[in-house]
Amino acid sequence: MKSQYFAGVDIGSTMTKVVIMDQTTLTPVIGPTGPEHRKLANRVMEEALAKAKLSFDEITYVVATGYGRINVPFADKQITEISCHARGVGHLLPDARTVIDIGGQDSKGIKLKAGRVVDFVMNDKCAAGTGRFLEVTAEGLGVSLEDMGRLSLEAKNRVEISNTCTVFAAQEVVARLSEGVALPDIIAGLHEAIATRIYGMVRRLKIEREVALTGGGAKNIGLVKALEAKLGFPALLPPEPLLTGAIGAALLGRDIVQEAAEKGETLVRSERRLTEASIFT
Amino acid sequence: MTEEKKPEERKKRRTATEAAASIGPMVKAMITDVQKAREEGKPIAFTFIACAYDEIIRAMDIVPSWVENYAGICGAKRDAQRFLERAESLNFSRSLCTYALCGLGFDSWREELGEMPPDAPWGGQVKPTVMLGSGQILCDPRNKWFQAAQHYMPDVPVYDVSLPYPAYADDYDFHETEGYYVKHIVEQLRGLIDFLEEQTGHKMDWARLEELVDLVDRTYDLIVDTYDLRRAIPTPMGTGDAMNTMVPIQFMMATQQAYDFFTNLNAELKDKIARKEGVIEDEKYRLIWGGGLPSWFALGDFNYFNSKGAVFPVETTYRTLESTRDFDIDLKKIKDPLEHIAWRWVKTWTYWYDKARKRPGSHPDVERLIQYIEDFKIDGIVMHEAFSCRSWHVGLIWQLNHLKKIYRDMPSLILESDIIDISSYNEADTRARIDAFIDTLEAVKDR
Repeated sequence: MKSQYFAGVDIGSTMTKVVIMDQTTLTPVIGPTGPEHRKLANRVMEEALAKAKLSFDEITYVVATGYGRINVPFADKQITEISCHARGVGHLLPDARTVIDIGGQDSKGIKLKAGRVVDFVMNDKCAAGTGRFLEVTAEGLGVSLEDMGRLSLEAKNRVEISNTCTVFAAQEVVARLSEGVALPDIIAGLHEAIATRIYGMVRRLKIEREVALTGGGAKNIGLVKALEAKLGFPALLPPEPLLTGAIGAALLGRDIVQEAAEKGETLVRSERRLTEASIFT
Repeated sequence: MTEEKKPEERKKRRTATEAAASIGPMVKAMITDVQKAREEGKPIAFTFIACAYDEIIRAMDIVPSWVENYAGICGAKRDAQRFLERAESLNFSRSLCTYALCGLGFDSWREELGEMPPDAPWGGQVKPTVMLGSGQILCDPRNKWFQAAQHYMPDVPVYDVSLPYPAYADDYDFHETEGYYVKHIVEQLRGLIDFLEEQTGHKMDWARLEELVDLVDRTYDLIVDTYDLRRAIPTPMGTGDAMNTMVPIQFMMATQQAYDFFTNLNAELKDKIARKEGVIEDEKYRLIWGGGLPSWFALGDFNYFNSKGAVFPVETTYRTLESTRDFDIDLKKIKDPLEHIAWRWVKTWTYWYDKARKRPGSHPDVERLIQYIEDFKIDGIVMHEAFSCRSWHVGLIWQLNHLKKIYRDMPSLILESDIIDISSYNEADTRARIDAFIDTLEAVKDR
């Protein structure tokens, strides 16, 4: 029987993630979103197709998710990132009951039961609980975002960052630097500050073990450790935390196709076009 | 200059009922009537919703000017920002109640110009004869707003009515103290009448007051009967409409017009139920608006919920009344109209107390949610945290968590924005949250 392929396209605020899956293989591509790339999700998709050695017509179903999901003309369906993260985590880490997703622009808490969402909370109002907080402060410290986690583990005497506003916190860390405070101690303080905000939000859900961490924030070991300290137990991490939403999107696409087949229904698909999105169409 | 910016014209929002659609012109007429009263030299009183003394103002032929209503109109027309910015320039903090900021910004501007600010929504809010505060524990602007407004209108006197009600506690029988509260409120109302007679020269018409007290009782009962019709499946009316039909409840109480409005709405809902005509054709999820004032500039979000198959048959917001028939005292036996008003006020607040005591660990606000969830067959809860309204919104998350603890877990959504400050609102993010909530409802229903 010929393989069926499903694509998940997760357009986040900073990164665009595409996965192509069949029953046994998974081909991922991650590219930056950025202001100019937002309308060019098709390029990331083309890259994934090339990597998987497939043509676009061979993809049975495409699901788009993330902030930019509406702007994907080649998707058959748009599904919220909450549902896609839940499906992705349910597949990758079936023991997880709570998901904490730390994205570039927002953070979310998701409560799962049998791999499906039963409740959620989101912070999309304040950058201080998101990856943006670390981006801004890393820039102020002259440290690359990738190095922040590693450096924070070298902290000897973590400082308290009292400002909860991202802009003012960036000023505060510069002031701390000029006081001669060691860089790792400042970075550890930043991780503590963001972990406190995220944990405070997710606690609304009555956190249940196991807890999975996803999104770009889950790639930062310093933030992971700070959150684990709040939780009081180790968190689960998927192999590639950035891909959970895209994997979930592909899996939900597969679910849709399978459900239609089981019911003997004709699959409704969009008139999809592998072109860039335009605000004029 | 920001003060000269004019808002864009917006499309009219779709309502399910004709009654709700008729509200816009009624509110406009209400504002025009106050402007006309000013021209004719009639006494005008700035006042607040749920003030309990509607009958007193009407019986004394004093024209009420509802300041929260006018701020809400500015918000709904997306024209509040210039008044908020003006209040901020007068050193009022942006984190204060934005209704109050809008009103203070507007009134100070009008007084400075000696005429209405340019393009004032619906002709503007006129200078009052008196300002009537009404503190009720929960909302500090109800005392402080008019005090601040006197900076710009020093010749307009303020009278502050204190309208407390018993606190709730598991181990304390509020019945023992209700009478003391009534006594206090009656004294407050007598003081109010003395003040109004002195300031306006209008004498209380006691016979008229008794008639209006009876009219309010009947209107309360009719409103509860009418809103209970929304239990029908599909529901014939949602919270989006109720944010319109709150107008006769909050701004027209003690008038025949309010009673007639609900008589007509009652008939309209019965007709829709007979024809099985719902807010939407395919009702999938029934939600409760479980607390929080709405974002007046974003009422279209209710239509967005509808487009996803969700309806709101019930809400707690602006349902600031109970049926007088259900009280544990017979109001009709209380002949003194002021005592009657005071008992109605206290009983409206304590109505849920006895019910809450029957469920271990419950609380009146939570018990009310539970009762509505059962009566209206609710699948999920939506609340709105308006950042500038601390007094009404603090405790919402606690209520939600407590409900889940003592009753059952159910999908919930917290929206975050403001009542009239549009800078707090992001339509894309709000709708992304609504989409995710709908996904959650679907997942829970499928289980």
